[in-house]
Amino acid sequence: MGYGMVIDQQLCVGCAACTIACKIENNTPVGFNWCDKITRTSGKFPNVRYEYISTMCNHCDNAPCVAACPTQAMYKDAGTGLTLHDTNKCIGCKACIVACPYGVISFNWQRPHQHWAQRDQLAEGCFSPREMLEESGGEGSPHGNPERGTTYPVVRPAGSVEKCTFCDHRLLEGLAPACVDACPSGARQFGDIDDPNSEVSRLVAKHGGKGLREELGTRPRVIYLRDYTPQRRFDPFRPAGEDQGA
Amino acid sequence: MNANVSLRDFATPTWILIAVGLVAGGAVGLYEMFFGHLFATNSALVWTLPLVTYIFLALMSTGISLVLAYGLIMKDEAITRHTRPLLIMAIGILLGGFTALATELGSLLNMVWILLSPNPSSPIWWMGTLYSIELVLLFVKLVMDLRGRHGVFDLPLAWGTLVIAAAAAITIGAVFGTVIGRPDFHGAFLSVVTLVSALVSGAAAIVLLRPQSTLTEAAGRIFRQAALVFAALILTRVAYEAHSTVEGMLGWANIFMLVPFLVAAMLLSLAPRLLALVGILGVFWVQYSFIITGQLVSLGQMAHWYGAVQTYQPNIPEALILVLGIAVAAALIKLGEQFLIARRPAA
Ligand code: SF4
Ligand code: SF4
Repeated sequence: MGYGMVIDQQLCVGCAACTIACKIENNTPVGFNWCDKITRTSGKFPNVRYEYISTMCNHCDNAPCVAACPTQAMYKDAGTGLTLHDTNKCIGCKACIVACPYGVISFNWQRPHQHWAQRDQLAEGCFSPREMLEESGGEGSPHGNPERGTTYPVVRPAGSVEKCTFCDHRLLEGLAPACVDACPSGARQFGDIDDPNSEVSRLVAKHGGKGLREELGTRPRVIYLRDYTPQRRFDPFRPAGEDQGA
Repeated sequence: MNANVSLRDFATPTWILIAVGLVAGGAVGLYEMFFGHLFATNSALVWTLPLVTYIFLALMSTGISLVLAYGLIMKDEAITRHTRPLLIMAIGILLGGFTALATELGSLLNMVWILLSPNPSSPIWWMGTLYSIELVLLFVKLVMDLRGRHGVFDLPLAWGTLVIAAAAAITIGAVFGTVIGRPDFHGAFLSVVTLVSALVSGAAAIVLLRPQSTLTEAAGRIFRQAALVFAALILTRVAYEAHSTVEGMLGWANIFMLVPFLVAAMLLSLAPRLLALVGILGVFWVQYSFIITGQLVSLGQMAHWYGAVQTYQPNIPEALILVLGIAVAAALIKLGEQFLIARRPAA
């Protein structure tokens, strides 16, 4: 058993719904995106190509971050194949950040989410976030999704790294990661990639697919299917009325 | 032990400078640990001048240990006669490095936790463990020396220090060399660089801080040879980088980096202390260059936040951590000299 994700580049529309869903689900601080993107522009006008590659922790089987971590704070979960992080063991050495070839780990240089508690108003006559919370009778931090806290601190401490967990708290409830549920085009599929009969494995078998920087031997668990080929979406030279679908 | 120390011994320009460094750097260190973040870092450029300071001082201390162990094993009197001052220097400089590391990690406790939750596949864990052993060995040797206990344990301890110190220096290189996704770091080369640079800076520190004719000659000989080897290493790297087509490699070596080592090695006898200082600055330049350059290319999604290639300039708080590390080392060395090395009785 080992979770994995496939992202079909032909279906991804680059809307960043995954990024926003992740941010809301996991309370990531300002300036951090556990789920993010790489964009690449290549070619020469008029044959220009733009690629949007959604990124996150690849939960590598051969994870350099886990090998580099001196305290086992970054570890592989044997039952699920996930690369997880224990903030209690993290000493903030940042070796994992340097070791990860994908740039998906962020460091809390300061206590995150400290600004909501301030009473400063953005403009005169506006509520400050704290006043808004008090006015509405809410409790705690407005950033906190309490369900996130079942497996990882809702707000990660200063001096600790953080990264995507494939929404392990949702997996425990039988739900898919938030980014998968949020994707409007069904580009993201999630499941047991170690089981050859699972949907994700079948998609990989059908389309082929590869992980990012596979040549490094990290054995990523996020697999990208099909390069995006724009002509298949919209080809201005095809006769009017012909199917322009994927 | 010397008990004839009075307060007046601290009213010297050296101590005043050290005190200024301790207060200014200490304030930044405490602020960084308890109140907020002052360093010029981000999630893609995480190891900056404070970590360079740790590596620079730790390797310099290693170099002093290596020179001392060599002297003890080879029974070189020019070196062994200065065992106690050299031990004090090695301990003081290592603790100065640890101070810089503590500010970089944000807490002293984090340095202890490394030992309590071990991951043997991690070079940082090995580095922490080896430097802890190294520190213990240095203290054991100092205590034995203070108690005048010399005998059967001297040689095994010297060999132990030699092996541990060399392994520690190589492991520092491995912290960077085992990184697979950053071409400026990856490979065994940096372990050779850290080992040889330890010897260069350690021998130079002895020449600079302990001017004494026979010792200067013995340490100077080691310095000259190590500096020439280091210059050859840098030249090899310059040639490699000039021909490299590896994607994402910026290249940290520079032909001008040869100058301090060649000049210092060839002209050392003319102005030993000045040229030893030139050698030390050259080592700092090389270490700073490879540590920073290796992180400047943003990986993956970080390029969106910080640009494909970053630039870095240390800010004042980071520079003050360098000052703090040096001030702690200097304070400990001075204290050791004043309290643990017998002075001539007043005439
Ligand atoms: S993508 Fe990076 S953080 Fe995630 S498992 Fe791989 S090396 Fe670790
Ligand atoms: S920052 Fe934390 S998780 Fe990362 S390597 Fe260091 S101890 Fe491990």
